[in-house]
Amino acid sequence: MAKKRLNKAVVEGDESKLNMTPMIDMTFLLVVFFMLSIDLTTKEFIPVDLPFAYKGIEDIEENQDETPRFVINLLSSGEVVFKGQTYSLSSDDPTAQETALRRMREELVALTRDPKFREDDGASMIPVMIHGDRAAKWQYVQWIMQVCAHPSIKIYKMQFAVKKPVSEEEKGN
Amino acid sequence: MTDIPEGEETEMNMTPMIDIVFQLIIFFLITLKFKTIDRRIDSQLPKDRGLAPTPAKPPEFEKIKVKLFRKNKGVEAEAFTRIRVGNNKSDTVDLPKGSWPGEATAEYKKLDEVAPYFGKITNIIKKKWAAQGNNPEVTGEIAAMPPDGGAVPHGDIMRVLDIFIQLGIGKVVFEGAAPPLMASEGGTMTGSALTR
Repeated sequence: MAKKRLNKAVVEGDESKLNMTPMIDMTFLLVVFFMLSIDLTTKEFIPVDLPFAYKGIEDIEENQDETPRFVINLLSSGEVVFKGQTYSLSSDDPTAQETALRRMREELVALTRDPKFREDDGASMIPVMIHGDRAAKWQYVQWIMQVCAHPSIKIYKMQFAVKKPVSEEEKGN
Repeated sequence: MTDIPEGEETEMNMTPMIDIVFQLIIFFLITLKFKTIDRRIDSQLPKDRGLAPTPAKPPEFEKIKVKLFRKNKGVEAEAFTRIRVGNNKSDTVDLPKGSWPGEATAEYKKLDEVAPYFGKITNIIKKKWAAQGNNPEVTGEIAAMPPDGGAVPHGDIMRVLDIFIQLGIGKVVFEGAAPPLMASEGGTMTGSALTR
């Protein structure tokens, strides 16, 4: 059997055929890598038009504490997107707003239960980043901050996502 | 042709599969975003407000208070933000009408348009801070009280916070209305911006 195949290959020029297997292996690995990384990066931040600020810390690994952080997205409409859940604060109905804030509080209480992330005085070590649209009403930000500082959550560390305006020289490039 | 060699049929044509896989790779490469924000402002909420307060030290310096109001808030195109530093009516600045645009070229036009107004606010705050000897212990306060304060855009508040940080005033307190949920749990909200 083996002999027959070899002979045929030699005769019909089969040697010139490329071995596709390693390439396909690599390609599949790439596909798997992209599938996994894409899932991790797009969940946290919802695209919004961030407020402008000239000062601020660059949001890079070195400036990031060890603890995880929660990203609360605030859209211009008043919708809050947090951990894949949407809470609508924009309603004119105070009862609906109350329900949304209560749900958000319950979610945060459940997420901050771990005593590992608590300071000695009970305050949470986990910062909350408010990734808000610049056109969103400030009162929603206030409400989110107040929910975070609730005695059952005790998150006092806040971060505001901002965008540095591009300077004149950079604009020209 | 009649003499089909054994097992020749089992060889698969890989080309379509490779085509599809490459398409997938290109799709993921294009959609992959490693970073969505570049900067942030760190802030600390006070532990001495709310239901379980810890005692706070009485302030030694007068706060530099910036009040923000959203005027004509019922009409989107006519609405504007009024910013007042302190209680003096002459220290009032009205920002141009309209909201913050999301479109890239328009947002820079708006940024240039509001720059002189924020420059004026910077100068007033600078003067008030100099009157207290530029002491780093001086606290800034951003107050957006009801009924007009809540409708101020987040972007305007961040610009005022940015002014304080640019000048070197690291402690900034926020004041505003309580959420509808917890009206009984204290009516003010405060926080300090920390500069690193």
